[in-house]
Amino acid sequence: MTLLEVQHVTHSYPTSPRPVLRDVSLEVVAGDVVAVVGESGCGKTTMGRLIAGLTEPSQGKVAFDGSDIWSLKGRAKKDWRRRVQLVHQDPYGSLNPGLTLGSTLAPGMLYHKLATPRTVDQAMLEVLEQVGLDPTKEFLQRYPHQLSGGQRQRLSIARAISLRPDLVVADEVTSMLDVSMRVAILDLLLKFRAERGIGFVFISHDFGVVRYFTQGGRIAVMFFGSIVEVGPTDEVVTAPKHPYTQMLLQAIPVPNPALARQREAEEAAAGGETERLIGEPSWTGCVFANRCPLVQDVCRTTPPPLQQVKTDDGTATQGHQAACHFSDRIPPLRYLAHEGDGASNQNGARQNGVHESAGGSGSHPAQASVG
Amino acid sequence: MTATLTDRRRAGDDPSAPLLEVDDLTVAFGDGPGSVRAVENVSLSVGTGEIYALVGESGCGKSTLGYSLLGIVPPPGRIAGGDVRFRGRSTTAMPKNELNGLRGSELSMVFQGAMNAFNPVLTIGTQVEHILAAHPGRFSSDEEGKAYFEHLLELVQLPPERIWKSFESQLSGGMKQRVAIAVALLLKPSLVVLDEPTTALDVLNQRLVIDILKELHRELGVTIIFVTHDLAVVAELATRVAVMYAGRLVESGTVDEIFGAGRRHPYVEALINAIPSVLDSGLRVKPIGGSVPNLARLPQGCRFAPRCSLAEDLCRSTEPPLVGDAVGHLVSCHVVNRGLDGDAAGADSNGTAPHADREGAAS
Repeated sequence: MTLLEVQHVTHSYPTSPRPVLRDVSLEVVAGDVVAVVGESGCGKTTMGRLIAGLTEPSQGKVAFDGSDIWSLKGRAKKDWRRRVQLVHQDPYGSLNPGLTLGSTLAPGMLYHKLATPRTVDQAMLEVLEQVGLDPTKEFLQRYPHQLSGGQRQRLSIARAISLRPDLVVADEVTSMLDVSMRVAILDLLLKFRAERGIGFVFISHDFGVVRYFTQGGRIAVMFFGSIVEVGPTDEVVTAPKHPYTQMLLQAIPVPNPALARQREAEEAAAGGETERLIGEPSWTGCVFANRCPLVQDVCRTTPPPLQQVKTDDGTATQGHQAACHFSDRIPPLRYLAHEGDGASNQNGARQNGVHESAGGSGSHPAQASVG
Repeated sequence: MTATLTDRRRAGDDPSAPLLEVDDLTVAFGDGPGSVRAVENVSLSVGTGEIYALVGESGCGKSTLGYSLLGIVPPPGRIAGGDVRFRGRSTTAMPKNELNGLRGSELSMVFQGAMNAFNPVLTIGTQVEHILAAHPGRFSSDEEGKAYFEHLLELVQLPPERIWKSFESQLSGGMKQRVAIAVALLLKPSLVVLDEPTTALDVLNQRLVIDILKELHRELGVTIIFVTHDLAVVAELATRVAVMYAGRLVESGTVDEIFGAGRRHPYVEALINAIPSVLDSGLRVKPIGGSVPNLARLPQGCRFAPRCSLAEDLCRSTEPPLVGDAVGHLVSCHVVNRGLDGDAAGADSNGTAPHADREGAAS
């Protein structure tokens, strides 16, 4: 069942000369998870605002459960408001500092009749427990400034989840959190996906986080207001079919010093690849043409449509689309040693977290005592 | 135009000393029972030409340590013990005007959120002219200083004429970060400290900053210390790494040791395994339970013990010393260091290990 449809949306802000979104379409079925990735300013946050109904699109339609969200009235509108929730990036800015946890959580549940004034305390305690916060009445009396960053983000999630939504727009929910907290927050959201079938639109620029979160889901890659590639997560990150996706993936720093040195040596030999990284978009033909290493004449004149990717052996899953005239000519990824590839690994970098005891100081007493 | 290291070495410096040494440094905020030690008994040594990473989660003291390298810990913070030596000379004992002379021309810093470090009502060029006016001896003429800045802008891959005339509001976040790096290098410092140089940048700008810092290191021979929470950036950029946890150094070594088979501290192991990677589908990733301790209410014994899968009774009662092995790889953990203590003492006392610090003996 299609839950959300973004249909040919073009959106401009009054202050910007060009549209921030250009003819963007995206579908989310119930329980699905779609990540929207791209660089700063590509329009991914605007996309989240449109889906959450915070911004009305200049052209095109955003439909939820088959109805245009901007035509909803009365009870239907109230119901839609409950069913789509937003979790913001910054847990320091998105919580009212003057409200206790209780007064942050209660009004929504009361307004949507998910609790009565008599039961709301109990309902809030249940929600706190579900998001891994201390489920006590004392905790409900706390203010956001008494919480750590991770606890604040759990509260933001509690606020969204308490309304029993069908779709959550999660905008960079882990980018402000400490490294050791990130996976815990992602796991919490994944728990709600598994247990309640909540669908997610997950906005992020961190491919590691995106891949972790969208197992079995899809990734949509945006470049200056256009979706340039969309497809199943594993396919997009291991065999991208758009040069921009390729560029993003290859730019990711990898925790492997040997690979980093190899890249440095190769790029020094090739010379000056980096200026392609941040060039301006092109407004005629393909939007990516100015930065594209594979650019041809046709790319300067004709914008490529977003279409099913072409492969020789037909292995690409239905639904893997790319907006590139030459999506069948994208070379394999470099510098990303995927699991089982047996790629460059000479300094004992580990795979699957297994230590290779390389002798000398490399033996790992910690592992020994764990085992 | 390119400054070399020999240009800058001056009479009175000890040429055999490492460029920068931190010796048993403690930085405290406040006094008395309410005081918090953001950095406690940290020792490290940075050689000329290294790229040294200070890494840890928020509140671990990495930025405070970075500030203390330039003697600019914001009040009420103060250096409560230990020493920072630049070319063998103590900066904590140095007269204030002498330290001021070092800052900018020898030691420089790019602050976190450097994109907000510019004056919004002056052009970048005017701000650079002010810096040149405040340091009249550095270049023979203002034109030469301006030309050097334009050279630096080219190295950070920005168009010099356009940047010179721009206000900060006309530049993107990634561009401002690169201008800030160029400004920090304007007076040809030997050492630049960068606080979170890639944080808040998207992946392409991150890649660009990494590439540019490597290029600047190669071209100018500048020694780089950077503070970050991003371990992947460390692996890409650094030659040596110090990992901090709750104010203490828990492990330091070369990048190949930390990211290869040589790392030993359970926190470092857990931190590396807590990062979701695009390289795998996520089965490998394990979150670290619990959270970073509040520095005002530290647990007894090892600070990581409450979250550590290897913790024993000893860990919960006694803080572990930082112990080095023969190649100067330092680890502070009772469990993984068991059996290493003898070797380490030898390495420390005969001085064969250039980076073996003395903290183990001190604590």
